[in-house]
Amino acid sequence: MEWLDAILSSSVRMGTPILLAALACLPTLWTRDINIGLEGIMIFGAFFGVAIGLVTGSVWVAITVTVVLAAIVGICFGLLVTSLKVDVFVAGIVLFVFAGGATAYLLDTIFGAKGNLADPSIPALPVITIPGLEEVTVLGGLLSGHSILTWTAVVLFIAMLVLDRTSVIAVYLKAAGSHPQALATSGVRVNRMRVLAQMWCFVLASLAGIQVSLGQLSLFTVGMTGGVGFVALAVVIFARGNVALTALISLAFGAATALTFQVDKNVVPHELTSILPYAAALVALIFISRRSRRPKLAAA
Amino acid sequence: MTTQTLERTTRVRGHGQIARVARVLIAPVAGLLVAVALIQAGGFQPVPTILVGLEYALGSIDAIARTLAWGLPLYVATLGVVVGFRTGLFTVGAEGQIYVGALVGAVSGAFIGGMLPIAHQAVSLALAALVAGALSAGLGWLAAHWNVDIVLSSLLANYILVPVCIFLANGPFNDPAAEAPGATIPILPSAEFAGLLPRTQMTWGILLVVGLATLVWWVLERSIAGYRWRMIGEAPGFAAATGVNIGRWQILAMAGSGALCGVAGAFLVLATQGRFTSEIAVGLGWIAIMLALMGRSRPLLAIVWVTVYSVMQAASRRIEQVADVPSDIALLVICTILIAAAAAPGIVQLVTDVGRKRHGMA
Repeated sequence: MEWLDAILSSSVRMGTPILLAALACLPTLWTRDINIGLEGIMIFGAFFGVAIGLVTGSVWVAITVTVVLAAIVGICFGLLVTSLKVDVFVAGIVLFVFAGGATAYLLDTIFGAKGNLADPSIPALPVITIPGLEEVTVLGGLLSGHSILTWTAVVLFIAMLVLDRTSVIAVYLKAAGSHPQALATSGVRVNRMRVLAQMWCFVLASLAGIQVSLGQLSLFTVGMTGGVGFVALAVVIFARGNVALTALISLAFGAATALTFQVDKNVVPHELTSILPYAAALVALIFISRRSRRPKLAAA
Repeated sequence: MTTQTLERTTRVRGHGQIARVARVLIAPVAGLLVAVALIQAGGFQPVPTILVGLEYALGSIDAIARTLAWGLPLYVATLGVVVGFRTGLFTVGAEGQIYVGALVGAVSGAFIGGMLPIAHQAVSLALAALVAGALSAGLGWLAAHWNVDIVLSSLLANYILVPVCIFLANGPFNDPAAEAPGATIPILPSAEFAGLLPRTQMTWGILLVVGLATLVWWVLERSIAGYRWRMIGEAPGFAAATGVNIGRWQILAMAGSGALCGVAGAFLVLATQGRFTSEIAVGLGWIAIMLALMGRSRPLLAIVWVTVYSVMQAASRRIEQVADVPSDIALLVICTILIAAAAAPGIVQLVTDVGRKRHGMA
């Protein structure tokens, strides 16, 4: 049963950045400023995780500084799309393109590296091994040996589930998207809610990026996030704002990605297996769209 | 009218003019500031360095030809994106369509032979336009009839089409002798565009680009088709009420958009690269999208911005050589300009609002 453990373990590992990025995107869907630059934030997160980790030697400092930076930039991005009325679709595309160019630039000027940065002194994310559970089939692969960010994602998921059911914040965020005037009349600042959603988005998506760069190999290459952010975007659209569904679909896409690693590269080349998650997302999108009339992503 | 109110209105009018000038200037100034800051950060004098870059980009006829030659495929791709945006279809699939066009161009250029050069080139370009256009039209059909979100579907299509193209270039069409990864067999001499100026990569292909640009401008700005596309983009309800078959015109726009991106990809192969490689057009589609946004989906303005970007690109290559500042700087500056341009009205509004409050005119 070792292969099953391997698949489950790798599904959880691959599903973690998707789940983090999808949870990041969810509140921006609620406020109807869906951030399609998710991938760009992940690229930045992946880069700064590695860069700060390499400079300071501490994974904790790397995570903390990256998250703080993400929060600040998130607020700026939020102000850009609220106070300065920049179209969120335009801002998202620029964010994505900018992230690719800026990380390549920083990589070159700070580390003198073209395209990738690998160094044995880049710290890896701590792994939580649950004693006694490692040897148990299925449960071992599912629960043991994952990075702290996997567990962070689980905690954040539960927190969002609870907040969604019980707190007024979730109501405010959703109202900021669907009934902004009603929310304003009730004395809540609509723009503040929209900025909050973007800040949340940046923080979680940067964690997703750190998981990609420090979660497994502890290196950075340009384009290493490889569209995970866009898969997460698809996940959020499919889940239509539902927290539990978001997590479930994220894990399904994690499993789809994990399966592609199980295929022998000599039988089917990597280029073909790598499209599986995207093809699955596209097919799912087509079927879901056909059955319902959803609001469009870019209504502008 | 009392003197006081007259004074107030003139002051407001003065504000209006300053505001108008500021709105136009914010973006270029922001771009310039970023360029200066990045070069300064590299430890070089910004102004002389930028001038050296511009000299390389625009200093002589050869330099201008070289700069333009680099930009030619980008003109075509950007106009392709403009066609989609004009119709209100925010397609971001340019990257994948350029790759498909490049592969089809490379394969038809290498494997179909025994034709006059002009016929061979025409067949290669037409096939590239056909395949990329059909793929794009498929997404358009899904959007028009099944309400599939065009942003997401075209985004995901990129991540399917590019790997498939690279797989095909590594597999059936691969040239094992080539050094570059994922390279196909070089195209036949009959498929290559004839050179126009030696040492500049400028080919007679420029006539094709000028022709296509004129055609796209005429279709978008002067023809009935362009009017319908604009109507669907700006007022779909009105278009539907006047009896325009929205679905059909949306599919047509997507087909045209994809076909132009496909031609851009094939152009890269036939004019400069001579074969498909896995890195042939990394990021080009995204730049085309940004420039189409800069051009506010208007063909002429988009053409201006492609020219500006081509100059910036050439200058940044030279700056990388002389000043050890990575050429990614061109991309960073254009991103800044786009965001600043998008934010400019908001910034001006904010400043004038604050100013009015201070003058007690809120």
